[in-house]
Amino acid sequence: MPLYECNENQFVENIRRVIESSEKFVVNRKINWHDDAKYGPATLPDSEFEKYAILFVRRSLRSTVLSRVPFVDDFHKRMYDQGENLHASSNLKFPRISIPYYRVEYSINLWGGTYFFAFDALFNPEILMEKRRGKLLGQDGSLIHVLKFKPPDENLLNINLPKGVMVFDVKNMIKVVDYTSNF
Amino acid sequence: MYVPVERVEANLLEIGFLLVGSSTIVAEGKFWKRMLYVNKEETISVSEEIGDAYPKDPIITICGSRNTILSVIEGVKN
Repeated sequence: MPLYECNENQFVENIRRVIESSEKFVVNRKINWHDDAKYGPATLPDSEFEKYAILFVRRSLRSTVLSRVPFVDDFHKRMYDQGENLHASSNLKFPRISIPYYRVEYSINLWGGTYFFAFDALFNPEILMEKRRGKLLGQDGSLIHVLKFKPPDENLLNINLPKGVMVFDVKNMIKVVDYTSNF
Repeated sequence: MYVPVERVEANLLEIGFLLVGSSTIVAEGKFWKRMLYVNKEETISVSEEIGDAYPKDPIITICGSRNTILSVIEGVKN
């Protein structure tokens, strides 16, 4: 079964055309959480990097990212010291701190082909000061910056589809049955 | 026609839309700021490319009803 990748405009426009042809169809949506080091701070655009400016420092896009202050990455349960290398410019594919994201895939199966539009929605950072205890922070605890990641609101994962289009949420596509070989 | 996203946003507010949230997404290998606007009947998304590529193509994409898009186009022209 061939897969055809579309951008958002193409995907929505294709659906509009299918509705005009009175063809019956369902749009499937798959949302999976990932934390596979695909995104790190060195490759984020400046406007996104600014959200981390209290904790991270870099000279420019794709430069090495260092920690500005000691902090706890609450999501990955790790602590970083001041001046630690978080994402090396010489190793951009393997950041030491990974930004989690949702992989969102919209697809329709039509006439033996699958048409899909996919995007990644990055988790938003939330930086707080908290009192934490531990080996390095002492038994009584110390105030330290804490980095948390919040998933984006679900309504931001929606795309604008024409009225009346049914969207089914699916976990995964396990098997594709190719009926075209019967003809 | 070059139209900064701020002008589109100002126009959307003028015609009764409110910003309810934004998120950074990656689609087609590019970073986008995706913003969600709602009014009483409609929810639309505005995406602005925020990567380092120049020239940006397209700079802004809006998915919404025909009437909304026409009024935004008219609004940013003036």
